[in-house]
Amino acid sequence: MSFGWAYYGLFTMASEHLEFVESSALAVELCGIPLATPLIPAAGTLAREALEDVRGVYGAMLPKTVTPAPRSGNPPPRVAEAASGMVNSIGLQNPGLERFLEDLEHYDIGAPLFVSVAADTVGEFAAMCERLVGEERVAAVELNLSCPNVEHGGLQFCAGPSAVREVVSVCRGALAGKPMFVKLTSERVVANAVAAEEAGAHALTLINTVPALVVDARARGVFLRGGLSGPAIKPVALRAVYEVSKVVEVPLIGVGGVAGGTDVAEFMLAGATAVQVGSGSFVREPQVVLEEFAAYLREQGVFARDLTGALAGY
Amino acid sequence: MKLHEVKVLGRERFGDHALLRYRWSGVAHEPGQFVMVRALSSPTLDPFLSRPLFVHDYDGEVVSLLFEVRGRGTARLAREDAGLLVSTPLGRGFVFDGKEPVALVGGGVWVSPLKFLSRALNTSGIAHDIYLEVPATASTAYADWLSKSYPHAVLIPTDGSLNSPKTVLSHLGDFSRYAAICASGPSEMLARVKEVSTVPAQLALRERMACANGSCYGCAVPLWREGARIYTRACIEGPVFGAEEVVDVQKSGD
Ligand SMILES: Cc1cc2nc3c(=O)[nH]c(=O)nc-3n(C[C@H](O)[C@H](O)[C@H](O)COP(=O)(O)OP(=O)(O)OC[C@H]3O[C@@H](n4cnc5c(N)ncnc54)[C@H](O)[C@@H]3O)c2cc1C
Ligand SMILES: Cc1cc2nc3c(=O)[nH]c(=O)nc-3n(C[C@H](O)[C@H](O)[C@H](O)COP(=O)(O)O)c2cc1C
Ligand code: FES
Repeated sequence: MSFGWAYYGLFTMASEHLEFVESSALAVELCGIPLATPLIPAAGTLAREALEDVRGVYGAMLPKTVTPAPRSGNPPPRVAEAASGMVNSIGLQNPGLERFLEDLEHYDIGAPLFVSVAADTVGEFAAMCERLVGEERVAAVELNLSCPNVEHGGLQFCAGPSAVREVVSVCRGALAGKPMFVKLTSERVVANAVAAEEAGAHALTLINTVPALVVDARARGVFLRGGLSGPAIKPVALRAVYEVSKVVEVPLIGVGGVAGGTDVAEFMLAGATAVQVGSGSFVREPQVVLEEFAAYLREQGVFARDLTGALAGY
Repeated sequence: MKLHEVKVLGRERFGDHALLRYRWSGVAHEPGQFVMVRALSSPTLDPFLSRPLFVHDYDGEVVSLLFEVRGRGTARLAREDAGLLVSTPLGRGFVFDGKEPVALVGGGVWVSPLKFLSRALNTSGIAHDIYLEVPATASTAYADWLSKSYPHAVLIPTDGSLNSPKTVLSHLGDFSRYAAICASGPSEMLARVKEVSTVPAQLALRERMACANGSCYGCAVPLWREGARIYTRACIEGPVFGAEEVVDVQKSGD
């Protein structure tokens, strides 16, 4: 860390090198993939219609989860406000894998492209991975395991370690070495993370939304049954990253409630190599989050890559 | 989403409703478009989401927003000290092909975008009539303001229900006098316009929004496209839709 600081100070003195210093200070490497910044959009929170302002901000692009066949999504309402966050139940609305691949060039932000996939069965997961393995434009695949496994009574794929192990090992085989991230929820996260690593995950993305319910007291009804995201879940996500970082070797991608530069630092300190921004990007510009993070690095005199797991403890 | 800090020129309160004006030198607004708004003084991001509001009026320099104070977000916006962050104008508004006359039909706080629409139609010299429902639940202050703010409108007091002895639509009677209908009202009114209109109608729909740039797929509106029922995103493809393409008007927008 001190080496990073010395280096940093050296270059900041020469202002013409500022940009170079900024970019090298922000760069990280994830599973051998160089990322210009540690920020990645969280799956399902950045559409191709909204890519104008994110070039240079995100170190990689990650579109919404795709499924084998098109999905029309859930009936409205699909989103609701919650204290310091929001609840959503979108229902994985997406055009299906083939149509998605036809439109792949629309996701080009001049950074590596990751693809998030989900399916109803292990076999379908494997088939999607087989389809993606030869797709050179796809640098990595993220398995979204927070979806119901129809072969196991609709329990989520990440309901427990044995289900995680099964789907991850099959996908690992199908992807033949292409980097594979496994995205988990906060439930049973440590056991699931260990299982995912043992089954061949190259990185773990922690966490998906937290199960939530919004009740309309006046109408005396359920308004929305979905997943909580935003600053409200940040401590839950930090805890997951922190605990998991102690028991696995693979890199972690932290996600949950990032809405500012310090949040990014917190996730990296807790053990993350890269950080995803989801709902926070709906209310603050990702560009501003990155600028705040860069300011934090300057103030602390560190490089982003030196932050991972660098908690001093109390 | 990028939000811009704007100077609030004035705030008015009439009962549960508020009118807010700010100067805007950015891209021009169009009738039926909306903006995302939040109070400047919410560094804690609670309330979390920005709130969508129709552009009530825009004269090239000043934008006004008309809203009902319902919960934490709008209460914050209506408060005297709160500064304002607003987005550029969003979505697709009303379109017209020059045919006249046009009927503008509204109710509740949703009459909001019809003011700006009427201004634009006047500018283009398109004849139009305005019919606004004033439900019994509206405060006297709001009802008074409506009659002052829409001096040429026909105001129709109702008991607020579709079975009211008189509704905007029963007053309007035969739609075929008009070349087109532009409606912005409670979901029940919009559903009825869709059902009974014999001429092309446009509906200003609302749905719960989070990102307002197409990213979250939250603001789903069921539409017919090429014979299939699909969910489209109100924030980028709407909020104004042709009545014939809307499958049904959801209550969740109210
Ligand atoms: C395109 C569009 C245009 C709108 N234009 C107007 C307008 O001109 N004037 C006006 O008074 N209202 C308008 N609304 C509704 C307005 O956004 C809500 O009344 C407002 O968000 C309420 O926020 P709150 O914090 O006061 O209420 P809350 O306590 O948060 O919620 C009260 C009710 O407001 C609605 N609501 C809350 N958050 C949202 C959201 N993010 N998106 C949509 N609805 C929400 C829900 O119906 C909720 O039950 C519009 C909505 C949309 C989608
Ligand atoms: C509107 C919305 C849609 C989402 N869609 C997906 C998705 O398609 N796939 C997925 O793995 N996670 C999805 N998520 C979860 C996010 O990727 C992320 O894990 C979660 O929201 C926590 O991060 P945040 O607090 O930064 O939003 C979605 C979240 C939101 C708010
Ligand atoms: S509000 Fe997010 S897609 Fe429309």
